[in-house]
Formats: sequence, structure tokens, C-alpha cells
Amino acid sequence: MSLSSIAKLAGVAALVGLSAFARPSGALAQTSGEPIKVGAIVSATGAGAGLGIPERNGLLLAEKDINAKGGIKGRPIKIIVEDDASNPDTALSKANDLIFGQKVVALLGPSLTASTVAVGGVTHANKIPQIAFTGIGPAVERERKCLAHVLPPQRLNAQALLEYAKNIKATKIGVLHDAGYGNVVMAELRPLADKYGVKLVAVEKFEIGATDTTTQAAKVKAAQPDAVFIIATSATPFRNVKQVQITQPVVAAIGSSSYEYVNAMGSAADNITIPEFVVGEDPLPHQKAFVDLYKQTYNATPKNYEAAAWDAAHIIAQAIAKAGPDAGGEKLCEALRGPYSGVLANYDFSADDMTGIPLSSFVYSKLVGGKYTRTPFRVTQ
Amino acid sequence: MTSRLLWIVAALVIWAALPFFVPRNIADLLVFTGIYTIAGLGIGLLLGHCGIVNLAQATFYGLGAYSSAYCTVMLGLPSIAGFVVGAVISMALAYLIGRPILRLTGYFLALATLALGAIASALFFEWDWLTGGTLGIGGIPKLDLFGFVLDRPSRYYFFVWIVAFTCMAVAHNLVGSRTGLMLRSMRDSSTAAASLSVDLQALRTQVFVVCALFGSLAGSLFAHHASFVSTQSFTVDRSISFLLIPVIGGATSIPGIVAGALFVTFLPELLSKLGDIHQILFGLALVGVVVLLPDGLMGAYGRLQRRLAPRRSGHDH
Repeated sequence: MSLSSIAKLAGVAALVGLSAFARPSGALAQTSGEPIKVGAIVSATGAGAGLGIPERNGLLLAEKDINAKGGIKGRPIKIIVEDDASNPDTALSKANDLIFGQKVVALLGPSLTASTVAVGGVTHANKIPQIAFTGIGPAVERERKCLAHVLPPQRLNAQALLEYAKNIKATKIGVLHDAGYGNVVMAELRPLADKYGVKLVAVEKFEIGATDTTTQAAKVKAAQPDAVFIIATSATPFRNVKQVQITQPVVAAIGSSSYEYVNAMGSAADNITIPEFVVGEDPLPHQKAFVDLYKQTYNATPKNYEAAAWDAAHIIAQAIAKAGPDAGGEKLCEALRGPYSGVLANYDFSADDMTGIPLSSFVYSKLVGGKYTRTPFRVTQ
Repeated sequence: MTSRLLWIVAALVIWAALPFFVPRNIADLLVFTGIYTIAGLGIGLLLGHCGIVNLAQATFYGLGAYSSAYCTVMLGLPSIAGFVVGAVISMALAYLIGRPILRLTGYFLALATLALGAIASALFFEWDWLTGGTLGIGGIPKLDLFGFVLDRPSRYYFFVWIVAFTCMAVAHNLVGSRTGLMLRSMRDSSTAAASLSVDLQALRTQVFVVCALFGSLAGSLFAHHASFVSTQSFTVDRSISFLLIPVIGGATSIPGIVAGALFVTFLPELLSKLGDIHQILFGLALVGVVVLLPDGLMGAYGRLQRRLAPRRSGHDH
């Protein structure tokens, strides 16, 4: 036997050994046949990386879980994850590649609203089911009945904040929000404020990625609100609110809930209430299995975006199983429409907003010393 | 001469056959290459022939895209209206802003264009009643030419590249004309050009307006291709990408602009297969091109040809 043959044999033996170790313990169902390809686009680099990286982790974990449980009617699922670098043009190219080049049966993602709408143009025209990791965006998305969303629409995020204000009897609210995500939530919050009997005494906006918002925080403080809402994807306003010594309750929208932002808040990550879905430190009973598996695999605590991606992969797997892997886009879209009890929330994809998340799916957590605890408050509908 | 003609015919045959043989995602990238070529041409004219660094092309690109989006989606007008409105607004803005800022030179002028780009980017964001802000405007219809809908990259490819070739012809004529001579004299010695009664500011403004027109056309084409526009496509980053096109390809060469556009559209796509490190690799590739090929890809090609030419002529004798 030649030296190269020995080396090849050793390589194969090593691979077999490694794959044996890589398998999770417990009995595994066997999958066989051609893998069913599902495409995924996330923002693993660029401005949206704080969302895209957790989503990719959630997707890969879901792929492993689905295959470990026998795949889709015995066939393995293969999730091909691509990075759009937080750019809608790149997302469009990636979607074309996945749909027409790699022939995926469905698309998961992208992470950002702009990319979702751009990609939606291709999936809608070609009747490819898509499950986006965003809340519903501009009006055109309401026509796209093959495009489901696993995160709440911004109106619901605004309602979740106001519900908490009502609970703590805060009627004068100061708001600090960024010019992107914050702007969109704010547009929904303004008309709702009256309905909740809330007066917006100061609304201060800052640029995305601003490194100092002290002036805006000081203005909010001067208006003497009962509570302060922070709607952004940034740690900066949280630090500045502490610096100007705002002592009123701070309520933050879900956008800043990831650990990436919490760690950047430092000592300011204290006494902040967040309406969200997954509190990794204290999960709800139906979230526990996912949280445990995630911790075991990644040695980290999952939050909302990991769970959203996990849900999206399982939802599409269920739809493919229901309609059959070769059913075609239109039948898959039909199979998608309907209720689904996920880790993040209870969805109903037959709803008008293709999300159907009820307000009661929100849990309210409190950040204390950089760690989340789940509060008993929930909205009952 | 005959061999040159043969080359042109061969290139045209390859160009016409390309979208039928490549996968859809490559056809899509070729459409983007055409769009970026048009936007890059304007920057190339300013950089290569006037010595002006323009970091505001995304502004005009955005104006073209938003005009097309607003006219077709919000007002229900035919697509051509968007192209015309975008071009008129962009050219008017370029003229009004160009007159005062083009008095500046060098770094100061580059900074002034950067400021213009930053202001426009902020306004696209803030004026969400007009631009849709972060959520953007979706559902922009595909272009329809006398009932023939350009709804696939392979169809749109021909339209975009015909526009690109027309823009290249315009740029070629401009560079080869008396105006082109005046431009180069102004670039190489503005004092000498002024002493020969060349109106420097008027000339620079004219080229700036042409650059804005190309940017706006590219933006309108982009809007109809992507069917969606949002602020994320018109940031200063995009202006830097446009500036890279002539810098990489060769600012004075029109084929160089195509080479630069191919570089900025295809290389990130190819590198993205290598994982999250792709942006670092793209940065390294950029540094490599700028350091090793200071006169761009076409400059390097020219040098290679010159180096080979004496050998060839030696063989002939």
C-alpha cells in the first residue's frame, strides 16, 4: 500500500471518528435520499450583523435538529446560508443565485427590512415561499401572500411599549429613538399614544450609529416624563440616560435586546424593562427545550433572533412535509398559511399581516446588572 | 484595422450570447455591472479628465431611483416620466451646487462633495413622506418596451447595456472633442488653460452635470431592476463604491470603467463564498490593485502591451 493510500485511509477513519463524536447523544432517526434545499439570506456582516449572526446560529441548529428527528419525511433538509453584507442589492443577487442557481424550494430571511422587500420582489413573482426575519414593512408586502414574517409588525412593538406604560400608570412619556428602526416604530407609536391616554412630552431623535446622545437625553430629562422609551438598535442611548441621571423607569424596544448591545451598555444595563419574547435565563416552558439545546451547542444564551430563525426553519419544514417536497411554490405557500406555535411566539400566517403574532406573546423582562429576569407582567387579550 | 474590427465583432457576439449561457444570478450581476458602468462613467470623466474626486454620485443615483419609484408607484405615471424627472432634478441640482463648490480644488472639493453626499443621505432618511425612509418604496414595475416586459435579468441586461454603450459613446465623444482637450489642459495645468481663455468653472460645472445625469440614469435603471428602493442603497458607502470603479479600472479609459464595474460587482460575490472574512479580503484586493497597479487595470494592460510590442516588432523583422 502506497503512502498516499495510507494517508487517505487515515483521513477517512478520522472523518468517521469525528462524525461519530459530532452527533448529539440519544437515538437518531435516519435520513436518506436527496437533501431538500432551503435557501437562507442573513446579514452576517455589516450593520445588521448583530441580527444576522444569531439568526445564522438559529438556522444551523434547526437544520441539525430537523435532520436528527428524521428530516422531512425521511429526506434531510439542507439550509444554504448566504450573507447579504446588510446590503439589499447583494440580497437580491443572493436570492437569484439561491432560487435559480441552487434551485432551493423556499427562502428564509433576510435580516433587514430593505433586503426583505427587495428579495420579496423575486419570491413573489416566482411564487417561492419566503419567511423573513423582519416585521412586515411597506404596503407592497401586504400583497405578497407567499411572504411570512416571524417578527412582530412595528405597530405591535409600539403597542407592547404602551401597554407597559399603562401598567405602571405612566402618562407622560419621553422618547429617545434612532432615525432608522426607531423612526418606524415611532411612526406607529404617535397615533396610538392618545388611545392609551399617554402624552409624549419629549421625542428626541438621533442618527443610527451615533456615539453620543447626551444632548437628546438631557432634553428628555428636562421634560420630566414619568417613564422613558428607548427605541433603537444601539447601546449608546442607554449609557447616556444613566449619565444624565434619568431616574424614571426606562422601557426599551426589542431592537436593543441582543447580548451584543447589552454587553456594550456596561453598567448602564440595569433596571431596563424590555417587551420581548425569549428570556434565555428564565424561558417559558415551551421555550425550554430550544434554550437548553442552544446553550449546549453554542455555550451561550439565546435571545429573540436565534429563536425567530429556529422557528422559520421549522415552519418551512412543516409546510414542505404537509405539501410534499416536489409540490411546487404555490402549494407550499398554501401549506404555510395557518397557525403555528413557535418558540418565539404563536403565529398565524393566514392573518392580514402574514405574522399573526398576538400581543399576548410578548413577555416583559428586566435587565438587572447585565442579566435578564422575566417579570410576571403579560398582556392578556 | 481588420483585426480590430474582428475583435469588436467577437466582443459583440459574446456580449449578445452571454445572458443565454450564464445562470440567472450571473445575468443579474451583469445587469448591475451595466448599471455601475453608467454611474462610474460620470465619476471617471470627473476624475480622469478634470482631476475632481466626486463622493456624491450616490446622491444623483438616489435621485434617479426615487424619481422612478415615486412617479411609477405613487403617481402611476409611465416609467419614462421617472427617468426624465430624475435626470432633470439631478442636472439642476448638480448645476446649482456645482457652481459654488467647483471653485474649490483638491481635497477641499472632495470634502465638499462628501458633505453633499452625507446631506443627501440624511435627507433621504428624514423625508420619509417622500422616500419611504428605511422601509423604502416597493412594487416598482418592471420596464415595459412596447408590450415586451423586461422582467428577467437576461432581458433587462440588453436594455441596460444599450444605455451603457450609449453613455460610453457620449463620454468618448466628449473626451475626443475640443471640450475634452480643454478638460485635459485644465487638469494638467489650470493656470495655463485659464491663460488660453478656458472658462474653468463653467467647464467643470458642465462635466459635473453630465456626471449627475449618468448617476440619475443608473439610479432609475436600478429602481426598475430591484423593484424596490430604500435609503440603504444611497449612502456614502455607495458613492465610495462608484469612485472605486474608475480608480480600479483606470480613470482615463472607458473600457477601464467596465473593468472597474466588473471588479466591484463580481469580486465581492466570488469572495463571499469564503465566509465572513470576505469583506477583509475585498479590502485587501483593493489595496493590492491600488498599490500594484496605480494606473488601474487598463493602465496595467496598456503597459503589458507596450512591453510586448517591441518583441513582436522584433520578430516581424
